[in-house]
Amino acid sequence: MAELSDISLVTQVAVFRNKKAFDQLVRKYQSPVRRFFLNQTLGDEQLSDDLAQETFIKAYVNITKFRGISSFSTWLMRIAYNVFYDEVRSRKQTEDIDESPAVRHTSASGDSNLKMDIYAALALLKSEERTCITMQLIDGYPIEQISKITGIAENTVKSHLKRGKDKMANYLKQNGYDR
Amino acid sequence: MTDKDNIMLEEFFKQAAQQQIEDNGFTERVMMNLPDRKIELIRKMSCVWTLVCIAAGIALFFFLGGWQVLEGLVFGGLRMMLGWLEVMLVTAPTTEIPINPWVILLMVAFVLIYLPYQTYRKLSATL
Repeated sequence: MAELSDISLVTQVAVFRNKKAFDQLVRKYQSPVRRFFLNQTLGDEQLSDDLAQETFIKAYVNITKFRGISSFSTWLMRIAYNVFYDEVRSRKQTEDIDESPAVRHTSASGDSNLKMDIYAALALLKSEERTCITMQLIDGYPIEQISKITGIAENTVKSHLKRGKDKMANYLKQNGYDR
Repeated sequence: MTDKDNIMLEEFFKQAAQQQIEDNGFTERVMMNLPDRKIELIRKMSCVWTLVCIAAGIALFFFLGGWQVLEGLVFGGLRMMLGWLEVMLVTAPTTEIPINPWVILLMVAFVLIYLPYQTYRKLSATL
């Protein structure tokens, strides 16, 4: 089947409940969605995959609510963001994702030291700072889009980025990355 | 935050930014867990059917004079209970009820010995 645009795939899923079209959407976006969750959970692969699966199922169930005002990827990332913060809220009583040590979560499947350092550095940030930082520096979203996805005002996103970058820069300098 | 810091951060995240996660059966797992449309439809239909039945029940209740039936039941029952109480109050002082002293003794024993013993046993088991 030829590569179709997101809008035509979404239309096929919404109107005809075409599972093959949805399969294409999942294949296309599984990497950025899973990477987003990996960064937020500081490398917990199992939890990331569970949350990513929940995200796609929610997208499938609510696909008729997609109005096409923003791009499909922005809409999907917004669902992912909400799924993650629902999880954070539900876990707050028992275990805090923010405070989990990065090393414990790091997968054993051949992660490099740099990757461990990234999760250790991200663990220093507050949850919202981490979301903004990873969305800008890893996923490459501009501030405007981060604001759309998270529902946080642009100025607040800028503040989170500033504070987060300061903390990260200090961490990197302390660990000799500036040499 | 200097330009040098910015460059350092970008360099640090460069590898993570280029990382592509292999599917490794993830899409299949998602597709297997998608809710079935038929089941969804049946669930929706059953919800609609329940609502229709509730609405029909309420309509029939008012249409067939359900209030009167309910009123009759409540007030009829109340009247019957009051009548029974009245008869008992009037006749009780003049009615002779034969009392067996053994029954009284058994009742007293039950209340004073058996009940406190059982309560103590249950309390000590929980504490």
